Formats: sequence, structure tokens, C-alpha cells
Amino acid sequence: MAERLALIAKYALGLAMAGIIYAMFLVVPQYVGLGDAGRIIIVHVPTAWVTSAAFALSAIYSIVYLRTRSPLHDASAVSAAEVGMLFCIFATVTGAIFAEVVWGTFWNWDPRETTILVLLLIYAAYFALRSSIDDGARRRRLSAVYNIFACVTMPFLLFVAPRVADSTLHPNCAFLQGSKCEGVSLDLNGAKISQLGDVVVELKAVEQVGDMTRAVVEVRMPGLTEYADLAPTMDSEGKAADRPEFPGQSFRMILIEADPQAGTARVNMQAPGTGLLSNQRTLWVFLASNVTFGLLALWIYRIRATILQVSARLQTTEAF
Amino acid sequence: MNNSLLWRATKAVFVREVRSELRSRQALNAVALFAVCSIVAVSIGLGPLNRSAELPLIHAALVWIVLLFAAFTALARVFVVEEEQRTAAALRLAAPVHAVYLGKLLFNLVLLVALTLLVAVLAVVLLRMQVKAPTAFAVMLAAGSLGLVTGTTLIAAIIARASSRSTLFAVLSFPLLIPLLVTAVRGTALALAGAGWDRCLAPIQTLLAYAVAMFVTSLFLFATVWED
Repeated sequence: MAERLALIAKYALGLAMAGIIYAMFLVVPQYVGLGDAGRIIIVHVPTAWVTSAAFALSAIYSIVYLRTRSPLHDASAVSAAEVGMLFCIFATVTGAIFAEVVWGTFWNWDPRETTILVLLLIYAAYFALRSSIDDGARRRRLSAVYNIFACVTMPFLLFVAPRVADSTLHPNCAFLQGSKCEGVSLDLNGAKISQLGDVVVELKAVEQVGDMTRAVVEVRMPGLTEYADLAPTMDSEGKAADRPEFPGQSFRMILIEADPQAGTARVNMQAPGTGLLSNQRTLWVFLASNVTFGLLALWIYRIRATILQVSARLQTTEAF
Repeated sequence: MNNSLLWRATKAVFVREVRSELRSRQALNAVALFAVCSIVAVSIGLGPLNRSAELPLIHAALVWIVLLFAAFTALARVFVVEEEQRTAAALRLAAPVHAVYLGKLLFNLVLLVALTLLVAVLAVVLLRMQVKAPTAFAVMLAAGSLGLVTGTTLIAAIIARASSRSTLFAVLSFPLLIPLLVTAVRGTALALAGAGWDRCLAPIQTLLAYAVAMFVTSLFLFATVWED
């Protein structure tokens, strides 16, 4: 019975994976500003999440191993690290391809790229360490120690990574330098000048054009190298429409709130790709993709862990 | 065990390290020559650099790269030597676990501080590095060295038990040192450019926090590495 269920689950997973790939190319609509490249979010983001989850699981099993000293827990830690490595490579490669298409460079040293590179290095080192210790018990013990020790540096890495490069193009306001999650409010009759990071913004006008609301904002780039009037718009339901680019940058200005009568507007800085998930079809495919990739990772992990655990059991019985 | 006993044992391990080092001078010679060679190589390779806004950052990066690789050649020795000379078992019997770690950590720290001094002087002379805020520069180097030592001494103990030790040490240490390296390079560049304490304090705090975190974790994990 259980075997039957496992077989059905396997085929279901295969079908789901095929469905995700189909939906990624044929169901998800193009995204303004990213075109077809935006579809990669369906593969890139879930694999990145699976990577973090698998590495976290590996570190937890390493701690458990040091407490119990059971080779079975070590087998779990290794399998989780292997699954994490596999998906980490996948996330890095899809990300780099996307970066080349959209940002014009394979590697940009933005915070997420830095952290994922360090993760790759850490687990490559973890496997290198395992392969260079012959004695089984010692290999398990020392690699568990290294796994935990590496984990301690992660908070520092997350803190330091945004300082490696000045900007990120990942759509996330917390990482986007100069972006404030809530944007900046400008008022024609009051504080009409403010700053988004090192860009000075000054509100020139807020007007109603048909059923669109338009704000005219003068931006002065750092060092006063460039001036430009940007005119982001918003439709009657309050959804941002036109998102003009800041001069010389890949970031866009977005209008979040505007009131032509009061003469107020709230604007923010945005990376291309923000708001990709506000489309219903994209959102559902994305969620399904997360579940499917999670299950796929779990399946690979189960197989690998079972193999390693059986071989660990065989070794213990041989020893007696 | 009470504290004074631990301290005495730590001191004994440290003194033993210093004594055996002074007898052979292997680590000192290797590290000093390595530092001289790499700074000379960098200076010849670059030639005299023009003053520019990015020069402090370039100098800081060069100094820390030299320090990093000199540390990779020197800091693993304390534990590798025990395995090579087959004295690890005797040390296990003779000294309490934490005294071994603390004694070797202290020795590595002294070695690295000496190395840092040498590299800094050579960089000033040969690379014509200008230090506009000497106190901040010294504190930054000290805090960075502390982090470098606390981050690598446990790894040294790990790789002493593995084969192909020297490459493995760099491979295992490097990813863990990246946060330290980034902070130290930016901080040192600030000090070279003559930034005030208000701006230098943040990187120093980060470096010290890193050192404390690595030190405490090492204390927890060292007994597991050292047992046999």
C-alpha cells in the first residue's frame, strides 16, 4: 500500500513539475519592463528558498548529531547539504542568466549574489573537508563542527553584504539603497523637497489628466550631475501606471499616493521586477512552483538520506 | 576547574608555544618572508600609484589580502605541528581542553599582531601608503587581527586531523572570513582617508562583534574537535 502511494506521489510530482514549466512559459503573462525574462521568477525564487531551507536543515542536523552522535543524523545533515548545494547552483545560474538579460551583467555583487556565493563556498568547503578525513566518526564530528561554525558567520554576512556594492537590483525595499519601504511624502504647499537615498526629489505639480493622476517630480542625481523631470502616473484605482526611470539608472520612480486637490504625492524608488506578483496568474503559478520545488527537494533529500543511512547502518553492523 | 588553574594552564601552553617557536623560528621566518615578498611583489607590480579618491580603498584591500594569505600560511601551524610531531596525545593528557585552545589562540594572536605591524610598516614604506588617522588605523588593524585569529584557530584544529592540510585550511577559512574581510577593508580605507571616529567606530564595532561571536562559538565547539 505504502509503495503504491509512493509511486503515485512520484508520478504526481513529475506531472506537477511539467505543469509548472508549461505555466511558466504559457500561462504567466509578460511583465512590463522585463518582458519574457520576468518568467524566470517561477524557477529562480523557489530554488533560492529551497536552498536556504535545506542549508538551515543541514545545520540543525549537525547540532543534533553532536548531541546524539548517531550516524543517521549525520546522514541527514549531509543529504540536506547536498540538496541545498544542488538548488544553490540552480538558483545562482538562473539568477546570473536573468541578470545578463535584464541588467546587462552576469554578476553585479549585489547583496543576494554575495551571500549565495559565500554559501556555495562554505558548502563546497564542507564537502572538501568530508572527503579528506578517512576515519568515519572523526569525519562526522569535524564536519558537524564546521557546519555549525559557518552558521555563526551568517548574521555578519547578511549585515555586511549590502556594503559590498552600493546598489541592488533585486526587488526588495529593505535591500534597495535609498528606497524607504513607505516612500517619501511630498507636499506642494509644505515640504516639497525630500530625498530618496542620495537623490533629491522636488514635487513640481500634481494634476488630473483624464482618469489618471500625474505627479511631476524633479530629480537631482548625486553630485548634481543630472537633472530630470519625471512624471509617474497612477490610475483611478490607485495603481501605479507609468514608472519612469531615474536618469542613468535602472531604478524607476513609482507614484504610490496622490491628491491633486491637496497638492500632495507619495513617491518611491523601485527596482524593475517589483510588483511582478501583483498579477493573479503569476502569483498562483509562483505559489504552486514553490510547493512543487519544495516537494521535489524533499523527495531528493529522502532518497539520498535513506541511501546514506542504510550505508551507515551497514558500517555499524560490520564493525561488530 | 577554578579560573586561576585554567589561566595557569593557558599560560603554560602559551609559553611552551613561544619557546618551541623561538627554538625553530619556522613560523616566524616563513611568515616574515612571505609578508616581505608579497608586499614587494605588489609594489613592483603596481609601481607608484597616483593620488586619487579610490587610493585608500586600494591600499586597504592590498594590505588585507597580504595579511589574509600570510595568516593562511602561518596560523594553522600551532595544531598541525602537534599532529606531525605526534605530541597531540601528550598535550591531551597534560593540559585541560580550554587551556589548549586559549594558549594556542594567544600565540596565534601574538604572531599575527607582529605580522600586521610588519605589513603596515612595509606598506607605508614601499607602497607609500598614507595614513591620515593613525590611531583609528591601528585600532582597525588590531580589531581585524583579533577577528582573523578567532575565526581561524578552530579551523586550524579541525584541519590538523585531515589530510591535505595546507590547502584545506584556506578553503575552509576563506568563506567564514568574508564578512570580516569586507568590514576590515572598508574600515581601514576610512582610517587611511582620515575619517573621524564617528565614522570609524561602526566598522570597529562590527569587527569586535565578529571576534566575540567566533571566540564564544570556538570555546563551545573546541572540546568536540580536540576529543579523541
